[in-house]
Amino acid sequence: MVSGAALKTSGAAGAVGNAASAPSRRFRVDVSTTPDRLRLLLLVVVLLSLAWGGLAAFTVNQYSSAASGVVAVREPLSLDAQQIYRHLSDADNTAATAFLAGGLEPPAVRQRYLADIQAAGTEIENATAQGGATLGGAAKDLATLSEDLPSYAGEIETARADNRQGFPLGAAYLREASGLMRSTLLPAAGDMYTTENASLNATSAQATGLPLVIITLAVGLGIVVVLFLASRWLGRRTHRVLNLGLLLAGAAAVIALAWLAVAYAGARGDLLAAQSRGSAPVEALARADITALQAHADESLTLIDNGSDNGTYQATYLRQQHALGPGPGTLLTLAETAAGGSQAAGGATAAAGDAQAWYAAHARLRALDDNANHAAAVRSALGSGHSDAGTAFAKLSADFATGIAGGQADFAASASSGADAFTGLEPGVIAAALVMAAGCAWGLSRRLAEYR
Amino acid sequence: MTTGARGVSGKGKWSAAVRAVAILTGTVLLAGAAGCTAASPQSAPAAQARNQGGRATGTSTAHHAASRTATQAHDTAACNPVASSLRPAPGPPQVTPGSFMAKILERGYLIAGVSQSTYNFGYFNPLTGKTEGFDIDMVHAVAQAIFGNPDKVEFRGITDDQREPDVSNGSVDIVAETMTILCSRLKKVYFSSVYFEANTRVLVLKNSTATGLASLGGQKVCATAGSDSAGIISSYPVTPRLVLVTAPQFTDCLVLLQQGQVAAVSTDDAILAGLHAQDPFTKVVGPLLAPQPYGLAIAKQHPDFVRFVNAVLAQYEADGGWAASYARWVGSPAPNPPAARYAD
Repeated sequence: MVSGAALKTSGAAGAVGNAASAPSRRFRVDVSTTPDRLRLLLLVVVLLSLAWGGLAAFTVNQYSSAASGVVAVREPLSLDAQQIYRHLSDADNTAATAFLAGGLEPPAVRQRYLADIQAAGTEIENATAQGGATLGGAAKDLATLSEDLPSYAGEIETARADNRQGFPLGAAYLREASGLMRSTLLPAAGDMYTTENASLNATSAQATGLPLVIITLAVGLGIVVVLFLASRWLGRRTHRVLNLGLLLAGAAAVIALAWLAVAYAGARGDLLAAQSRGSAPVEALARADITALQAHADESLTLIDNGSDNGTYQATYLRQQHALGPGPGTLLTLAETAAGGSQAAGGATAAAGDAQAWYAAHARLRALDDNANHAAAVRSALGSGHSDAGTAFAKLSADFATGIAGGQADFAASASSGADAFTGLEPGVIAAALVMAAGCAWGLSRRLAEYR
Repeated sequence: MTTGARGVSGKGKWSAAVRAVAILTGTVLLAGAAGCTAASPQSAPAAQARNQGGRATGTSTAHHAASRTATQAHDTAACNPVASSLRPAPGPPQVTPGSFMAKILERGYLIAGVSQSTYNFGYFNPLTGKTEGFDIDMVHAVAQAIFGNPDKVEFRGITDDQREPDVSNGSVDIVAETMTILCSRLKKVYFSSVYFEANTRVLVLKNSTATGLASLGGQKVCATAGSDSAGIISSYPVTPRLVLVTAPQFTDCLVLLQQGQVAAVSTDDAILAGLHAQDPFTKVVGPLLAPQPYGLAIAKQHPDFVRFVNAVLAQYEADGGWAASYARWVGSPAPNPPAARYAD
């Protein structure tokens, strides 16, 4: 339909240009006289203006709803999924830490565990409420999460109750709970995060995609050219230098086009920045953070089982450490690269350094445990002294939190400014199209009136 | 199974899935029984282990246990487990120069492989932050004899299936973990003289009508991978056959019993008493199925250490230490200690 209108335009322009010599067969009857030609021109430019107005309004609507979808729906859902994943990992980790501390766990650790479970529960509810039918693949994961989280929490409480009575059965329930967390809950949360993140990126790509806006701008420019040619032809034909109506229409078209171009370029820039300086570093940091939390849970579980796990928890710890890095292709290095230049950079760089300090403290802890000093190893894991593994991990965890908060601030600022770029543009282009149509109609009908 | 693998349908349906596998397994076993063959390796424990999330035990270990019992049955005639150990030198235990004990003395501590979860025999007590129990007292007695200090010990928690390999490859000096002296095990490790006499029985929930393994045909019974009990369950003559479910530790079996995922736990009465103490809504039932003489396991390379430990046990039993520990952990009054019998 759009291209049809454009073709007709050039056909009509050509006919107008060669009107004296050889009018095309199709328009022979219509354009034999100047008034006829004027009448045809009037019809064409008014229809073109209105059609372009429709196209432009559609285009703006597409982009602005994608952009606000990023800000209002996709990003919150992705963040929610990431938070569920993180809170569950932290719960697994904190439950193990609390258990390691013995029957009377430190109140702060207990509080943190409870806060994790509560937050994860709320986030699961939120995601279910927000997502509704648009969730797709994540709905299945959410069902798993909401079914198994209560079982997990129940097992942890049983573990605690047994532990308080001095029963080794408590450790068995902790293993059971951690197994449920690792085999069912965390995979579901991870899967949901991946899905949500992919949706975020897809919507963001929609909001920054080129084809539709290029077409709309090209068609608009085409109309400006038609208006220019029409007014030049009219000037020659009627010996009037300016047709005010066409001038007004042209000016409205140019303003609308400029506004659209600027708004689009601004929004695209903002959304790309939100992605590269916001969601990309946050995602990379979150992955590293979650891996570190799981490794820390392994550190605690190794000490709790005191060898009864045949070294499997320590093996998992080493795998996580290997995945974390830093080093080429590792999570920490990827996070550092992704965070470069953003507000997340400080946290990411500090994390890479503090991770190595934690590995070193962990190695000392293992050496203690392997050399008949289990109690000292436990003290190091829970400790807050300078060289304790507990201190080193707390530092690393804080780095991640700082980095993620920085990245999220960057994202929020850029993405909402990107979505705001389209404010008022949709009524704006509609108004411009109406002004164009009215201008053309007014300008040309005044000339036409002179032939009566 | 497919939906369950992701845990999508939750625990309820999981159990249903596991039940389905169990029924299937039962059918397989029936077929096996009809063909007069020994219990075949089962898939239920593997599914169970996956269900429990990362409990990486299962089929192969259960199979090992079964074959081990077969071996045991085969060579029982060839040896006498309760009179299999080496006679100590007369007098109190001595750390002789160049002996394995001297090496331990030089290292500064004894390394003992123990359970961390067998209540009242070897368990990590969260209230004291220490590993405690009857088995553990035996180790303290050995440390006292080497160092003059009962606390010079590193306790390493090991699972039942690691007891033989860990003592053989030297990662622990001695294993004190409710370990039954079996002829099949005597081929790989030394045992001390008998320090405790247990017997296999069955633990069920208080409201169960089961009166022993004989009345549990076709149902799931839990034991640890690599334990003698696993072998007894899988070869127990009942129709339909018992479905063996293995877990890393006996406390894990109690979790499964409490969750209704198994009908019973079967192992030594000493261990079952510890489980019962942690859940009074259980009961120990049934006849004494098989005597389980416990010994401390030591590597084949260290006969000197075996003689030394036997001297320690003789002294510990004579000076009342054994009886005091028994009264504390097992029950009062303590009976007479098992009479020490040696092969040489």
